[in-house]
Amino acid sequence: MPPGRIPRGDALSATFAALADPTRRAILAHLAGGEATVSDLAAPFDITPPAVTKHLKVLQRAGLIVQGREKQWRPCRLQPAPLKDAADWVDQYRQFWEQRLDRLEDYLQELQSQRQEKHDEPHPRKRRPAR
Amino acid sequence: MSPTPASADRLGDPLLLTRRFAAPRALVFVAFTQAEHLHHWMSPQGMTMSHCSVDLRPGGHFHYALSGPGGSTLWGKWTFREIIAPERLVVVVQFSDEAGGMSQNPFTPVWPATTLSTTTFADDGDGTLITLRWQPLNASDAEQQVFDSWHASMQMGWGGTFDHLDAHLAACVAAGRKG
Repeated sequence: MPPGRIPRGDALSATFAALADPTRRAILAHLAGGEATVSDLAAPFDITPPAVTKHLKVLQRAGLIVQGREKQWRPCRLQPAPLKDAADWVDQYRQFWEQRLDRLEDYLQELQSQRQEKHDEPHPRKRRPAR
Repeated sequence: MSPTPASADRLGDPLLLTRRFAAPRALVFVAFTQAEHLHHWMSPQGMTMSHCSVDLRPGGHFHYALSGPGGSTLWGKWTFREIIAPERLVVVVQFSDEAGGMSQNPFTPVWPATTLSTTTFADDGDGTLITLRWQPLNASDAEQQVFDSWHASMQMGWGGTFDHLDAHLAACVAAGRKG
């Protein structure tokens, strides 16, 4: 029963919102070590299994975990793909600014070499640009 | 080192980016604040700045459009809050439209509508060190959360509590990302 195709931006928002909570991040970190049951996941935290279930639902909706049906204790498993998408997107945004700054760096070089050339002219024009 | 916001502002945690330029501070500051310079570097590869107007005074705007190859145009606007040449520049950043209004972040629907960007310029030998700092401005809780997660992942990569996760992701990628 796959959910309908979620627009990319919305899926990312769901991922980011799911990751915004420290308990949910800790749950994901735990699941990175292998599948675990709800009571396994509740153990390290001072919260009840129903509270953990709530967090698991958020993670499940964001597509970050799947919960098995086959066994009675329904172990949870990590689904890393959305994390990869989120990391890619974050990286794109950072690159957008890094790229701008690269261009600025080139541009500043260019500006300075132009100024240097002017400065090196043997007979500069009478009127220097006002500063 | 707080960015002296208006007292009613609600500001989120900052996101930082630093860069050193082999150019004097005055020149770097000018490159950040004058239209004739901004249009040379503010558009990323493959895009051109098809509109660029700057009214450099507190409350004034830098209004720009980035045009891509497919005819797509992305409008943005800075509103100058603090201009201390050549030390510090505080601007409110937002996605915009042709008329200079507000628009939503095209990349993700839940994003603070405005961010406060503080850029500081410091001498570093014969170069200049700039620090860019972004903070969500008057964001809703949900917007703040989205920004914070972005911020957390940018600041730490997938470090800290994400160490195990990172190793796992690397393993998944190496294994051709099955399942």
